[in-house]
Amino acid sequence: MKSEFVFIALPASALIAPSAFAVQYLNVEQAQKAIFPGKSFTAAPVKLTSVQRKAIEQASAVRVLHDEQRVWRVGGGGWFIVDEVVGKHDFITYAVGFNTDGSVKQIEIMDYRETYGGQIRDQKWRAQFVGKTSKSTLKLDSDIKNISGATLSCRHITDGVKRLLAFYEIALKH
Amino acid sequence: MRSRSSIEIHRCRPLLGTFVEIAASGTNPAGLERGIAAAFASVEKVHCLMSYHDPRSDVSRLNREAFPKSVIVHPWTWRVLEAAQQFAQESDGVFDITMARLLASRGYLPRREYRPHNAATWRDIFLRKNCRIFFRRPVIVDLGGIAKGFAVDRAIEVLKDNGVVAGMVNAGGDLRTFGQASQLIHVRHPAEPTRIAGAVRLRDRAMATSGIYFERRKHRRNYVGPLLDGRTGRFGRKLISVSVAAAECIVADALTKIVFSLREKAAGLLVHYHADALLLERDGTPSWMFRSSCDTRARTPFD
Repeated sequence: MKSEFVFIALPASALIAPSAFAVQYLNVEQAQKAIFPGKSFTAAPVKLTSVQRKAIEQASAVRVLHDEQRVWRVGGGGWFIVDEVVGKHDFITYAVGFNTDGSVKQIEIMDYRETYGGQIRDQKWRAQFVGKTSKSTLKLDSDIKNISGATLSCRHITDGVKRLLAFYEIALKH
Repeated sequence: MRSRSSIEIHRCRPLLGTFVEIAASGTNPAGLERGIAAAFASVEKVHCLMSYHDPRSDVSRLNREAFPKSVIVHPWTWRVLEAAQQFAQESDGVFDITMARLLASRGYLPRREYRPHNAATWRDIFLRKNCRIFFRRPVIVDLGGIAKGFAVDRAIEVLKDNGVVAGMVNAGGDLRTFGQASQLIHVRHPAEPTRIAGAVRLRDRAMATSGIYFERRKHRRNYVGPLLDGRTGRFGRKLISVSVAAAECIVADALTKIVFSLREKAAGLLVHYHADALLLERDGTPSWMFRSSCDTRARTPFD
């Protein structure tokens, strides 16, 4: 097979705007199916008390950002939890399936968004691009499917799962 | 009724310290789900065997026990070590998995209880028969990138074995595609990883990109990254990125590190592996493009 290795440079205008990279892998229902195929789910959201919240933070050494946790009880045993983590470069929604014994069955990323901390949140910084977004940039954003380079660490997910394991012990187990 | 039209399924899981994305297309959704699950299982297996951080992994056992005793590892770990030693030999030590000791000393890897010899190199690792590994001196190894490349190759193999006709595995930037259609792969801007510098098209091929990117740290008023030259022990400073395309992802990953240090001098190795290379300067422009097979097609503008 002939090599097709050609670099396609982007127009300079595309370099002005930050790349927005976002993928939705699974919605809640699809994630439930992916982790617990063929099972039924009953919503059982949990609102943490401040005591529980402190206990989770102490047990996991991870901060609890939301008091409300989206939880489902799985028919035949087990739990399904949807959670999110926000890092310097990432905003991720993910699902964790817990077995009846409280061990992690499976983790699935539902939404993955690369955000660039201060940049995205800083309105002033954003304002400078208003009206400058060229067509090619828009096209670029919608075209990005695969990116090579720069491993984004999944450390925030690891911390998130640690927090959910503590959440299970403190708020779900009984 | 089963639909005959082709569908594509994407899944992503946190593994190998990064995000591993697997895509598969075909006409049978259940078959695709099965293929993807089996492919993730093989990535997870590589993760368990070759993680530097997990004390139960082969790599941790090697780092604790291969000196002065010897350690028997899983055949997959053996294959990755064998490949690493081959790349070390062919690059005259530019590629060197024992440079983990310098990465640990700079905080890129946890130090643990290891006490590596401060002149240890890849030449201190010996691969014996029956997956037995022996270190001549205290050495610490980190299979990081090449284990990731190996995992991508295994996942692709599993997808194919499960009857998937086209797909893609991307482990935090080390990726490989297969199937009839070509895929557009975007490459990050070397100095500003939040942006895209451009793209290449790949068909039935792997590509890895190395750069300093998010990992850079200030050291003596300069930014340094986790890439270093095994011959000199010097850390990479330049905010360039190197992408290498090859048939296998393990090869693409190892070659990016070699090209990062050797630049044009790596041409011989690229030819040997039928690999292509792309070097982006800090302003995002390509300064060196190497194609191992002759291709006369002109560069195409983006729009």
